[in-house]
Amino acid sequence: MRRDTNAGSLKKEKAVEARWCYLFLALPIIGFILLQVYPILWTMRWSFYSYSGVESTARWVGMRNFISFFTTDMTYWHAWGNTLKFALCKVPIELTLALGLAMLLQDGRKGAGIFRSLYYLPNVVSVAIIGVVFSNLFSYFGVINVFLQKIGLIKEGIDWFANKNYAMGVVVAGSIWNTFGINVMYFMAALSGVPADLYESADLDGASSWTKFVHITLPMIVKMGQIILLMSVVGTLSTNDYIVAMTNGGPAGGTNTVMSYMTTKFVPGFADTTTPAIGYGCSMGLVTTLLFMLIAVGYNKLNKKLSNIY
Amino acid sequence: MKESFGKKVAVYTILTIVLLLTLFPLIYTFACSFKSNSEIMAHPEIVFTKTPTFDNYVQCWTATDFNVPLLLRNSIIYTLAQVFISIMISCMAGYVFAKGHFKGKKVIFALFLSLMFIKTGGITIYATFNVLNFFHLPQSLYSLLIIALFGVPITNIYLVRGNIESLPGAIDEAAKVDGASFPVIFFRVIFPLLKPIIATIAILAFQASWNDYLMPTIFTLTRPTQRTLIVGLMALKNSAGAATSWNLMFAGSVIALLPVLVAYGFANKYFVSGIAAGAVKG
Repeated sequence: MRRDTNAGSLKKEKAVEARWCYLFLALPIIGFILLQVYPILWTMRWSFYSYSGVESTARWVGMRNFISFFTTDMTYWHAWGNTLKFALCKVPIELTLALGLAMLLQDGRKGAGIFRSLYYLPNVVSVAIIGVVFSNLFSYFGVINVFLQKIGLIKEGIDWFANKNYAMGVVVAGSIWNTFGINVMYFMAALSGVPADLYESADLDGASSWTKFVHITLPMIVKMGQIILLMSVVGTLSTNDYIVAMTNGGPAGGTNTVMSYMTTKFVPGFADTTTPAIGYGCSMGLVTTLLFMLIAVGYNKLNKKLSNIY
Repeated sequence: MKESFGKKVAVYTILTIVLLLTLFPLIYTFACSFKSNSEIMAHPEIVFTKTPTFDNYVQCWTATDFNVPLLLRNSIIYTLAQVFISIMISCMAGYVFAKGHFKGKKVIFALFLSLMFIKTGGITIYATFNVLNFFHLPQSLYSLLIIALFGVPITNIYLVRGNIESLPGAIDEAAKVDGASFPVIFFRVIFPLLKPIIATIAILAFQASWNDYLMPTIFTLTRPTQRTLIVGLMALKNSAGAATSWNLMFAGSVIALLPVLVAYGFANKYFVSGIAAGAVKG
C-alpha cells in the first residue's frame, strides 16, 4: 500500500517535471512551428503559383516557375557562378594565410596573444561599416588608387566597382580582411593539440621544415582542419548581407552571391521593385535549400574519402 | 631548437605587415572622422590631417537626416533586449535539454538542429509578415524583438547544454532531495553556475544585434524613427547625398564601432572561449 503511494508520487513528480520542461521550451517550440515550419510549407505552396503579394490575383502555374529559371532565366545560375567564384578565391587564400600565421604564432611566441586578438578585430566590425569604409578606400579618388599610382603599379585610377572582376577582387579582399582572424584562432587551437615531442624527434632525425609540415603538422590537424574548412565553405557560400552592404550585387549582378541575389531581388527594402515575384522567389528558395543540402552531403562523402588517405 | 636571429626578424616582419593591413582600414576610419569632407575627397593620402576637427561629430549629433542620438538610442534598446532574450531562451532551453526528462526530447532537439540546413534565402520574410499580421502586430523594431523571443538559438542552446552536462551532477541532485522544484533548481542553483557561458552568449549576441543590418532595415522601412545606427548609416550611404557626406559616415562609423571595440577589449577572453567552443562543436 505504502509502496503504491510512493510510486504514485514519484510518477506525479515526473509528470510535473515534464510539464515544466514543456513550459521552459514553450517559446522556442511555438516559434519553431510559426516562424520556421510554417514559412517552409508556405514557400512550398507558393512556389507553384504566380504570386506577387495579393492572394486574389494569384494563379496556379504548376512547375512553370521552376522550368523558367532552369531553362530561360539564367540570372539565378549566374549568381551561383559568382558564389562559387567568390568561394574559390576566398577560401584557399584565407585558410592558407590563417594556417601560416597560426604556425608563426605557435610555440609560445612572444606577443602571440596580442597578434591573435588584433587579427580578430575586423570580425567585430559590422558589414555595414565595412561597406562604407571599403567603398571609400576603393573609390575612384580613394586612397588605394592614389597609393597604387604613387608606387607606379597603375597609371590611371581604377574604377573598382564598375568592373565585374575588380569588384569581385575588392569583395574577396574585404571578406578575407573581415574573417581571417577567426581562422587564425581556430588553427592555433588545432596546432596546440600537436604534441611537441613529435617535432623534437623529427628534429633529431634531421627532418626539414617542409617534411615536418607534411608528415607531422598536416596529419595531426586534419580533423580540426576539416571542420574549419566546412565552416569556411558554408559561411562563404551563404554570404548575404556583406555583399548587399559592399556592392549591392553590382555591377550588373557581377558580385551577387546566391543569397544576396535572393535578397536584392525579393526582400522588401532591398528589391528594386515593390511587387517582387514572390511565387518565383519561393521556387528559387526551395531549389537553393536543396542545393545547399546536396553540398553538405557531398562534403561529407568527400570528407570520408579524405579521412581514409590520412 | 633555437631560432636564429634572422628567422626571428623575418617572422615578426610578416606578422607586423599583416597586422598593419588588418588595422589600416580601422585607423583610416578613425582618422577620417576628424577630416573635413573636402579633405577626405581631395587628399585621401594624408591619413592624419594637420587640421583635425570635431565638426563631424557635432554635425552627427545635431543633423536631422542622420540623427545619431535617436539612432543610438534605438540601437541600445534593441541590443540590450536581444542580449537579454538570447540569454534567457538559450539557458532555459539548454537546461531542459541537459537535465529534463520528458517525451520527445530527442526529437525536438533533432528538429531544432535540422534548422541549420534550411537555407531558403530571404523569401520567407513574407511568411513572417503573415504571422505578424495574424496577431495584429505591425512591422516595427519592437516586433522584431518579439520574433527574437520566439527564436531558436540552436548554437547557444548547444553551448549551454554542453556546459550544464559538464557540471557535477550532485549539485542539482542534492537540491532535488531537499524538495526544490524544477524551476527553483534552474534559477537558484544552475543559472548562477552558468556565468562564464552567459558572458560568452551575451557578448556574441551583443555583437550580432548591434551590427545587425538586414532584419532591422526590413522592419523599419516605414518607420525611420526606429532605425538603428547601422541601418541609418547604410541609409546615408545609399542616399543621393552620400558623396558629400563621407565625413558624417566616417564619424557615424566610429560611433557605431566604439561600443563593440570596447566590449571586445574588455571581454576578449569570452569572445575567444565562445569561438573555441564553437570550433569544438563544429
